Amino acid sequence: MSEKKKIARELERSSDIASLKVLYRSASISRRAFVSRLAALGISTSIAGFIVAGSPVAVAATPKRGGRMRAAAGAHGPDDTLDPARFNSVINYGRGEQFYNGLTRIDESLVAQPDLAESWETNANATDWVFKLRKGVEFHNGKSLDAEDALYSIERHLDKNVGSGAKAFVENIAEGIVEDKHTVRFKLKGPDADFPVIMGTYQMKIVPVRTRDFSKAPGTGPFKLMEFKPGVRSLAHRNDNYWEEGRPYLDEIEWFGISDHNARMNALLAGDISMMSGLDPKAIPRVNKSNDVRVVNTKAGQYTNFAMMTDRPPTDSNELRLAIKHLQNRERILKLIYKGNGMLGNDQPISPVDPMYCADMPVRAYDPDKAKHHLKKAGMEGGTIKVHTSEVAGTGAIEQALMLQREADKIGLKIDVQRDPGDGYWSATWGKTPFFMSGWNMRPTANIMLTLAFTSDAAWNEAKWKNARFDELLTLGRASTDTVQRKQIYCEAQQLISDTGGVAIPCFIDYLDAMSEKVKGFIPVPLGPLGASQWPRSVWLEG
Amino acid sequence: MWLVVLRRLGMGVVTLWVVSVLVFAGTEILPGDVAEAILGQSATPEAVAAIREQLNLDRPAVVRYMDWLTNLLRGDLGISLAANLPISEMISGRLKNTLILAALTAALAVPLSLAMGLAAAMFPGGRIDRFVTVSTLFLLSVPEFFIAATLVLIFAVHLQWLPAITYATEYDSVWQLAKSLALPILTLTTSVIAHMARMTRAAILNVMTSPYVEMAILKGVPRRRIVLRHALLNAVGPVVNVVALNLAYLIGGVTIVETVFAYPGLARLMVDAVSRRDMPLVQACAMIFCSAYILLILIADLLAIFANPRLRHSKQ
Repeated sequence: MSEKKKIARELERSSDIASLKVLYRSASISRRAFVSRLAALGISTSIAGFIVAGSPVAVAATPKRGGRMRAAAGAHGPDDTLDPARFNSVINYGRGEQFYNGLTRIDESLVAQPDLAESWETNANATDWVFKLRKGVEFHNGKSLDAEDALYSIERHLDKNVGSGAKAFVENIAEGIVEDKHTVRFKLKGPDADFPVIMGTYQMKIVPVRTRDFSKAPGTGPFKLMEFKPGVRSLAHRNDNYWEEGRPYLDEIEWFGISDHNARMNALLAGDISMMSGLDPKAIPRVNKSNDVRVVNTKAGQYTNFAMMTDRPPTDSNELRLAIKHLQNRERILKLIYKGNGMLGNDQPISPVDPMYCADMPVRAYDPDKAKHHLKKAGMEGGTIKVHTSEVAGTGAIEQALMLQREADKIGLKIDVQRDPGDGYWSATWGKTPFFMSGWNMRPTANIMLTLAFTSDAAWNEAKWKNARFDELLTLGRASTDTVQRKQIYCEAQQLISDTGGVAIPCFIDYLDAMSEKVKGFIPVPLGPLGASQWPRSVWLEG
Repeated sequence: MWLVVLRRLGMGVVTLWVVSVLVFAGTEILPGDVAEAILGQSATPEAVAAIREQLNLDRPAVVRYMDWLTNLLRGDLGISLAANLPISEMISGRLKNTLILAALTAALAVPLSLAMGLAAAMFPGGRIDRFVTVSTLFLLSVPEFFIAATLVLIFAVHLQWLPAITYATEYDSVWQLAKSLALPILTLTTSVIAHMARMTRAAILNVMTSPYVEMAILKGVPRRRIVLRHALLNAVGPVVNVVALNLAYLIGGVTIVETVFAYPGLARLMVDAVSRRDMPLVQACAMIFCSAYILLILIADLLAIFANPRLRHSKQ
């Protein structure tokens, strides 16, 4: 084998190039884009040629109709639900996208696209939103979609009897009005330039007015429910009456969960399923060895973090928090724990895939000397502190805690790692002990993420961090429709969290999924595993 | 005779009651409750309170327990808190799956282990005996998940002869059923065969030391006839007990196999119910397992009594 070819094969093993190859092979980027991105990575054109030559492209990107898709998520259980208000995990989101639609859909650039609403407009300060619904759309039971259905579906999240997990998203709605059969207006209490994006989140699905029984999944989505056994599986058939021309492509979907990640991977390798979410980074070489399956790596804003509560000792000292932040060896964590599948983090929750990411902020470097200095100022030199962790806290939570323990040892801080049982972690440990680990999925907008978990009165402010200027910034950010101004505002907000906040975020973690080579048309949306579960409407099976 | 059975059944009911109290108390002690479990990370205090109110979780524990008990006595298993479906509906499918797997495994494992134990006891120290002893020791020491993973690796991933997960809940043909369940049955067989084979061997060898057997040997009766005709029936007691215990395990304890093969059975249902603190479902599963144990042990004891005429006509 020639020298250059050998180099090409070596380079192909790196995950950046592997993910580029995936995009190229599945026809998501053109040959020209592929080569130019390789050049951006510093690879000479001649070697790039060998990499391209080794990556046969899907010849035609024309979708094929037909076939049964068997796909698996991870956790599932007897509480699997078809009620959009209760959707809170991949197993449920997958069903949400099969059977329902929202007013809008969030695309891979995190921009709201028309779904059931064909257009929308707002007033100057983003407090009054009018959505025009598509005409001629029917629910699976034959009923025509109209504005009453839209209003009911959104407002039900406010009803405390519904017990919706998404109540916080709609609390800003002061009044919803049905203007005519296909127009619905929402008057907001406070400005929100991102309102259309909120209408595209997982829970905001449109159901017929007055629906209380969701056992038949009454939606407008690309598939109809045939069979549903919670904790076992669901079976769906193509909705021939679907409003989107030409879609969906699959005939049937069998969707279930396989909790054990080894069993899930084995099922994919053995051909029992065609698609799975949640691939363990350690399993990537195994999947790459097989020619029938591929790894799909989506850059995303999910993270596993350290949370240091600012309202109780010893973590109430910002010096101690800064010490912990400086002890984070971010490159090493990314390389060793996540096998390079991620992006460096900066102790604040907005990731580079978010349009509001503050690129000007330098990434805090690993600096044990500075850490020691802060530790001394905190008066904790030679001290001991306990950190709680668990495998349910987040991907790599235990490994991160152990790594911190080793680093802290070098500067004379003893960290006691306590591994709590996963059962009840969220009720007994999270938000109750001073120093613990946690994990977050990214939210569709920076405003949502920051409001949900960082404002002074947020229910999920795990570090109980209170900063008046930050709250002020968020209010300004919501009201502004000027992108440049918003970026500045969010930049300052990110800086505040990074410098004074209670979270240490070493890196963002990619979503790792795996699927058969026969699966085409998959679009990686950074909002969640399996392309934010939007695959039912876009995927087809080849061969 | 019947008095024995009735007494045992009575004690069984008391045991069931005690177990129900213990399971209830145990699940109550665990941190968190079903409202928090359903909402997961979206558990805001008001959403949690709303669901608690809906599910009547704000009443004291004793009241909730008594409610559950009275419903049970009326034959109503209740409604799953997490899934909002009647429990009888949820359990019937899973119970059927579990029973199928248990029955098929037992059909393979019990005769095989009895045969192995007998063969080993026939010529203690001989080749068959050594083979049986070593292989059962090996199977006992290797964890179930390792055996399961190895079998999946070889037969499903590499050879692709058998599926890696047993997903079909309807089987079109016996052949499909056999293919789907082959690996789980093999795994479970390796787990249970060891105990039963070793116990059979030990029980028979124990009987072989008794005086009447010595008499038979001195009389010149061939060894095979001694083992099968004279010793076997007296060894029934301990063997049948071990078989019953293993069968009960097949009904209630096969969580690992159900996880690795994604088999929708009862054991996994109970584990999931516990992690979601779904009290009625946990109780229902616990009652089924407990009843299975009690019934199987009762049958085992009855068989032991029948096999031994002395116990049959005892003063009891």
